[in-house]
Amino acid sequence: MDITIPTTLWDEDSDAVITSWLVSDGAAVNEGDLIAEIMVEKIQHEIHAPKTGTISISQAVEAVVAKGGTIGSIA
Amino acid sequence: MLPTSEKKKWMYENMLVSRFFEEAMETIYMEGKTPVFNMAEGPIPGEMHLSTGQEPCAVGVCAHLKPSDIVTATHRPHHQAIAKGVNLKMMAAEIFGKKTGLSGGRGGHMHIFDADVNFACSGIIAQGLGPAVGAALSKQMKGDDSVAVAFLGEGAVNQGAFHEALNLAAVWKLPVIFVIEDNSWGISVSKAESTAVKHNAVRAQAYNMPGRFIADNDPIALYDIAGIAIEDARAGKGPTLIEVETYRLAGHFMGDAEGYRPDGEIDRLKSKDPIIRMKNLLIDENVISEDENLQITLKAQKLVDEAIEFARESDYPEPEEALDKVFV
Amino acid sequence: MKGQANKCLSNNHMENERKLTIARSMAEATAQEMRRDDNVFVMGEDIGKLGGVYGNTRGLIEEFGSTRIRDTPISETAFIGAAVGAAQDGMRPIVELMFVDFFGVCFDAIYNLMAKNIYFSGGKFQVPMVLMTSGGGGYSDGGQHSQVLYGTFAHLPGMKVVCPSNAYDAKGLMTTAIRDNNPVVYMYHKSLQGMGWLGTEQGATVHTPEEEYSIPFGEAKIVKEGSDVTIVGVGLGVHNGLKAAKLLEEKGVNAEVVDLRTLVPLDRDTVFNSVKKTGHLIVVDEDYKSFGLTGEIIATIAERDISALKASPQRVAYPDIPIPFSRPMERYALPNPEKIVNAYAKMKEQ
Repeated sequence: MDITIPTTLWDEDSDAVITSWLVSDGAAVNEGDLIAEIMVEKIQHEIHAPKTGTISISQAVEAVVAKGGTIGSIA
Repeated sequence: MLPTSEKKKWMYENMLVSRFFEEAMETIYMEGKTPVFNMAEGPIPGEMHLSTGQEPCAVGVCAHLKPSDIVTATHRPHHQAIAKGVNLKMMAAEIFGKKTGLSGGRGGHMHIFDADVNFACSGIIAQGLGPAVGAALSKQMKGDDSVAVAFLGEGAVNQGAFHEALNLAAVWKLPVIFVIEDNSWGISVSKAESTAVKHNAVRAQAYNMPGRFIADNDPIALYDIAGIAIEDARAGKGPTLIEVETYRLAGHFMGDAEGYRPDGEIDRLKSKDPIIRMKNLLIDENVISEDENLQITLKAQKLVDEAIEFARESDYPEPEEALDKVFV
Repeated sequence: MKGQANKCLSNNHMENERKLTIARSMAEATAQEMRRDDNVFVMGEDIGKLGGVYGNTRGLIEEFGSTRIRDTPISETAFIGAAVGAAQDGMRPIVELMFVDFFGVCFDAIYNLMAKNIYFSGGKFQVPMVLMTSGGGGYSDGGQHSQVLYGTFAHLPGMKVVCPSNAYDAKGLMTTAIRDNNPVVYMYHKSLQGMGWLGTEQGATVHTPEEEYSIPFGEAKIVKEGSDVTIVGVGLGVHNGLKAAKLLEEKGVNAEVVDLRTLVPLDRDTVFNSVKKTGHLIVVDEDYKSFGLTGEIIATIAERDISALKASPQRVAYPDIPIPFSRPMERYALPNPEKIVNAYAKMKEQ
């Protein structure tokens, strides 16, 4: 399952930047765990794991991601 | 003491230069900071505290000042620097960190110093007050009728330095004027949450000096009251405290998401833009025509554009210059 | 155990891994202690609704309310002095000085009251307070908003001083600080916090267990074992040291990096033992060079056993100048990994 930036987190169409990954590539995560922090227009938002499983990170810290963009997946 | 037409024009021109400068700062500051907002990046790095909307506070007071009068300012100094006559090109260059800046890039935006017009800043809240008191002391001892003006925010009034400075100025009857720019917010904390009184002007009573309140960001009213205060100071009658209700149209600092502002506040404040109000006043009073307004506007924009160009084209200092000018 | 290497700093993924930024780990430690002990409360500027300018009180006002999480006016002398009084009366305040550079407006409350009242009362009064404060430059914030001032606070007696380089240590040190009945100055570096609007050193965001734990004061950590040279640092300096170690490795030099973690009490034993092993010492410090941390570490070795040093020790510290605003000048002044590598070369030339 893809980990995507929720489209409802902010109003404008601006991009987000990943400021921190709070798990490593390949780690086991539980649904709801806080896994990353992103920043949009100077405000920090939280990204949570959409399901339980093993995470694969596709976008590194400082990567710029559009609304709805994918930053990783959970198997 | 109401301003003449010439003074009103001067105030309006100055407010325009100030506003255009802040608009340029806002735009240029964001260069290199999108899509990732990292404060360290871009041609203007670090913090940026804009005075957009607070122009009346600077012009209403500085319209009365001579180069020998002293002004101390805060971390939000651009409008006051411009009103005091600080060299605009060198100020811009300083903010860009260039060698041609007021201090060769050592100070930056929060530490604007121009000895030619006796202007200085401190980035530490309320710490500009002591030096203003001292400058006033010096003038008094020399028998010089120059005065000192200390600008501060309403948040600064809760610092010990404010109380000590006012008391000392009053006890020694010094020619210093304290001007509070009340924009209601100390970063995310409102005045109502932090301050024991509704109007800081009343605190003047505690220090046996006049306390005056200017409502609604009105430069003409401020000109009047500041004029009286400055005249009194020059005449040896001692200090005055002035509180101006003003509006910060931008965030506390660039990067401030302003989540603490109530809904609609920013829009409501923008509808009271002091530049537009001043323009309308001058046109209504036939001080300027629409045509003259256009000329004034273009001239102000040109001054700012030239200052920015000077800043952009100037060189950075050599890295080792960091070691110079610690001592004279 | 003293001086043990800790794999947490190397970002290996592990079971049930959860990384935190230092900002989050400070807030987590605070929240856990506040749940344990009703006497713990927090005061400072913008630490309530805003969650702290540096994110270290995020979520607290929502959980604990505004009686225990108090936004203050800009009145450091008053609220830090108040924290001393409240602490002496049995409360356990955590008070924030937004930038360490602001200490000038309230230092009497810190060094003359907070740090001396236990002594003056013969231990009859306790002062269980934490003074947390941000420091550090490198992002053009100018001379009054970029200092670290480790030396100033560590030099004056009566206050413990801690400085985490990563989130794991940050949480454990904060827990210890809150539980300590003595005053603790908790100095966090802005570049390690995890704030998006200010570049963050990624190495600081590490696995941090959810359960409560504390890290004792006075225990430095060997964050990289080595044999040829000892690099001692604190805060961001540790990360500079680790990067320098990587560069030195390419030249066949095996550096040992020591993270002091606590400045007061200072773990002189770990530092001395490391230098005894390697014979070579480089101290990294973002604080002004003269009369500070770098001199203290070198003096520690010299007075114990000068023969431990096989070459003159080197200091990579900030020059004795006000911090300049302009980027090329600031970069010139700051410690960095290359300067540490050059210091090693200089040491070997002698």
